[in-house]
Amino acid sequence: MKPKVAFFDFTGCEGCQLDALNLDGEQVIDLLNAVDIVNFREVKTERDDDYDIAFIEGSITRESEIQRLQGIRDQAKVVVALGACACIGGINCLKNHVPMEEALRTVYGKDAKYYDTIPARPADAVVTVDYYVRGCPIDTAELLKVVKALLLGKKPDIPSHPVCVECKMAGNVCVFERGMTCLGPVTRAGCNAICVTSGRFCWGCRGLVDDPNIDSEKDILQKYGLTVEQAVERFKIYNTYAEVTK
Amino acid sequence: MLENSVLIVDDEPIVRESIRDWLRDAGYQVATAESGEEALEMIEKEDFSVMVLDIRLPGQTGIAVLKEVKAQRPWIKSIIITAYPSAETTTEAKKLGAIDYLIKPVAPDDLESLIQETLDSVGREPTVITAAEIRAKPPVVEVVEVKKSLVITKDGLKSIVESLVRETEVVGVKSRHGKYVYDRIATWEELCLDYDVTVMPPTKYLLPAKETLLKFKVGDEAQVEPMTEALPRAIIGVHPYDVKAIELLDEAFMATNPDPNYIARRQNTIIIAVDCLNPSPKSFAPSMDTRLTETGFDLLLTDIGDDYMVAVGSEKGAELLAKYAQAREPTGSEIVRQKAARDEALAKYKLSLNVAKERLPKLLEESYDDPYWESRTEACLSCASCVMVCPTCFCFDVHDEVSLSLKEGERSRQWDGCMLVDFAKVATGENFRHDKASRFRHRIFRKGKYIVERYGMVGCVGCGRCATACLADIASPLEAFNALAESAGLKEAATRKAMAVRPDTALYAPRPAELVKVDELTPKEKVFEFRFKDGKALGQRPGQFAEVSVMGIGESPISISSSPTKDGTFQLAIRNVGNVTNALHGLEKGAIVGVRGPFGNGFPLEALEGKDVLLIAGGIGLFPLRSLVQYVLDRRSSFGRAVLLFGARSPAERLFLDELAEWSRNPEIEFHETVDRGDDSWQGNVGVITTLIPKVDIDPRKTMAVVVGPPIMYRFVIGELKKKDIPDENIIMSLERRMKCGVGKCGHCQINGVYVCQEGPVFTLAQLRNLREAV
Repeated sequence: MKPKVAFFDFTGCEGCQLDALNLDGEQVIDLLNAVDIVNFREVKTERDDDYDIAFIEGSITRESEIQRLQGIRDQAKVVVALGACACIGGINCLKNHVPMEEALRTVYGKDAKYYDTIPARPADAVVTVDYYVRGCPIDTAELLKVVKALLLGKKPDIPSHPVCVECKMAGNVCVFERGMTCLGPVTRAGCNAICVTSGRFCWGCRGLVDDPNIDSEKDILQKYGLTVEQAVERFKIYNTYAEVTK
Repeated sequence: MLENSVLIVDDEPIVRESIRDWLRDAGYQVATAESGEEALEMIEKEDFSVMVLDIRLPGQTGIAVLKEVKAQRPWIKSIIITAYPSAETTTEAKKLGAIDYLIKPVAPDDLESLIQETLDSVGREPTVITAAEIRAKPPVVEVVEVKKSLVITKDGLKSIVESLVRETEVVGVKSRHGKYVYDRIATWEELCLDYDVTVMPPTKYLLPAKETLLKFKVGDEAQVEPMTEALPRAIIGVHPYDVKAIELLDEAFMATNPDPNYIARRQNTIIIAVDCLNPSPKSFAPSMDTRLTETGFDLLLTDIGDDYMVAVGSEKGAELLAKYAQAREPTGSEIVRQKAARDEALAKYKLSLNVAKERLPKLLEESYDDPYWESRTEACLSCASCVMVCPTCFCFDVHDEVSLSLKEGERSRQWDGCMLVDFAKVATGENFRHDKASRFRHRIFRKGKYIVERYGMVGCVGCGRCATACLADIASPLEAFNALAESAGLKEAATRKAMAVRPDTALYAPRPAELVKVDELTPKEKVFEFRFKDGKALGQRPGQFAEVSVMGIGESPISISSSPTKDGTFQLAIRNVGNVTNALHGLEKGAIVGVRGPFGNGFPLEALEGKDVLLIAGGIGLFPLRSLVQYVLDRRSSFGRAVLLFGARSPAERLFLDELAEWSRNPEIEFHETVDRGDDSWQGNVGVITTLIPKVDIDPRKTMAVVVGPPIMYRFVIGELKKKDIPDENIIMSLERRMKCGVGKCGHCQINGVYVCQEGPVFTLAQLRNLREAV
């Protein structure tokens, strides 16, 4: 029996689901040989509420989403958070810095009264999440890696170390030595340091490593020219929910 | 005459000895001669089937020797090797019956197969298969000798580089973002030879960030194919400190358990080094004695203005010069200019070690508990940048990846480092170096002590890369050494050379073994019985471990539970704690797994024989100890009294129930057991295992105690054994660590400087008292 896989989107841009589709033809065939995709709004209209593995995209920003996610958790054997919004709350959590009424007013103006909103949160703030496919957007290869691990019944080898490791493996000149600043030293790897390799710096989209040394990172950001406020802003972009900026 | 006797005639000791060692390893009877005269003397006294002959010899030439041999011993097959091929000598050699004509540097495996072919085909017609190739080469130029210093023009160097670019992959130093990096070079113009330091060291071409070790097929026809890459490559512009680092890697990867992947790359790499004349401000190479080098390169350049001084470090280097550049003897003033350039560079170093580097191991030994470690690590990000950029760091991790069809996959290794949080964490969750200070100390100890003691070479080459890469500014070993500096005396270990090494191609390749029986011991533990598909025995000692693979999932170290006295099969008792053990628990009879090993030292049987043996197992400590219990019972007369104590947490967690019952009835062994907490069904002892020890009558003068159990148990059991006056040397323990590779390379299992997979997992208490990280 092929495992039944379902994709669900919550609050987010659906870019991670699009990336999940970013496979070449042969991979699609192999994937469809391995799993039954029963629920995937970006791909097909039929829906089936009998599934084994649920991929959750987006963060949770409304009361109604809490119940919906709990329902999915009750049905699925395995729940995988897909992308920064679902894994760590992501940029949606930027609104958590203002009162919810203000957030509604800013977005909807006079129609604000028709909407409700709650502070944005990652999937695991609501239900138990088994595995994470991180990043903004996700890396398709990593998604496949997680799918293959699930099919083999093993825990995926997702790095717990910081981006610096992969940056060194890529042979990059350190961002700090190029006159910029970077969240790589406290951000979870797995992206092959793609932003730095492409000439930018790490924004922290994969979330923080376990037990990150935030004090040291802040000192370093300041040593390399950011003000305290700028350093905090840098963390806020993706990692508001981790509350490291308080 | 021995059918496989080979005489090597070459005046170059490196060539002579390396070919000799290679062929001896391959099973040939090998003799050597330094000159034609010596060779002829030897041939007169004894016969050889094959002669490997250098053409250029002091005194009688190779051709003269060949003539003499043809006259006296026409049946000896001769293979000519030379760095200076010419059409004339080829024709001459052919006339004299030479079988083949190889151009130096000769790949030892090519030579070996040629010799084998020669031996296999008696009466083979002399052929000179490389003659066409030889004609295509440029005319012979003047003799270039190893160890010589010559002068070439910058155009001469350009010609060497451009020729190399045409023939092979060339990497060199390039400028990027105002820093320097090693990268592929397509033209001479891209190459930068005057630089301070590169971001990453050139060792990445010998140990890449990620490389495939095996390809495998998943399923019943599990197939494993070792993979090595042997792309010929030249690295241009290597600074002497990096040359020294490569010499250390050679020692680590070639001297013992020769690593096939490393060796394939190393033996296909040409190193053109260059003296560092503008050192990085963070470098302290002079203090580590790595500012200059006389070994480890094929060519070494020094920029002396218009020209380069070039030192020839190998036959390969000599060949390059001979083929592509007009090298000449240096003038007196050029020698002076080289010295001046080096002295000027020396004056530019700003940092130095305030203690002789020879003193570092002692200094560190005395500084183990120094508050320095804690004080420096508050800012540590555990990002491992320091170890990633280090040319002498070589630890790695291993992962399996499968295709989406789940039918085939690859096992690859990638860089790992002891500064990462999980580096010393085992499957059961215990992290043996869980705090930043102990990881920091371990790294500095490796650089200043462990590597020095293990390999006899400096563990830090003073390149300064880690100090540059560390954002928290704490990584410099120099700073640590200087801060800890005290006076002490010590000896420098001898160094070895390990170039012509035969790789162990199967080093990482598991052998297929079939699961012939599986029994559940408890809901979490099963015992598996395996037999190798090739029918061979595992050949273990009690107390050793094996690396067990479920292809696609991964590989784990598992202690061997059965004694070698049980024929044909071997048993592994396994608790389900991680990916691999979970997959093993799902297997049924007939399944195929991969097994490497046995590894480790095992219990010291020689020391146990003739003694009373007190065997103490706590919980799954019985898994490895069972092999010894079986061994003692099967060789009962070799031992004195045999006492076995076993403690489980509860009656439900007792293991090997049939055997426990049998041991309790067997008059050959005194068996006592206990459980921490009893239940209604339990009639026996209740209490922790230490409560059994006082009940046993022990003669401390002739008792050896062997203890295996969880870490927490050791402290209490040792306390009880000491009450019985058993000396530390006679208390033996087996330790658990993350033994990822099993062959002393990956670094995960280290306790201080000890590799548990090599020197362990069995230690005496006396040994462990000197290993601070042990218990």
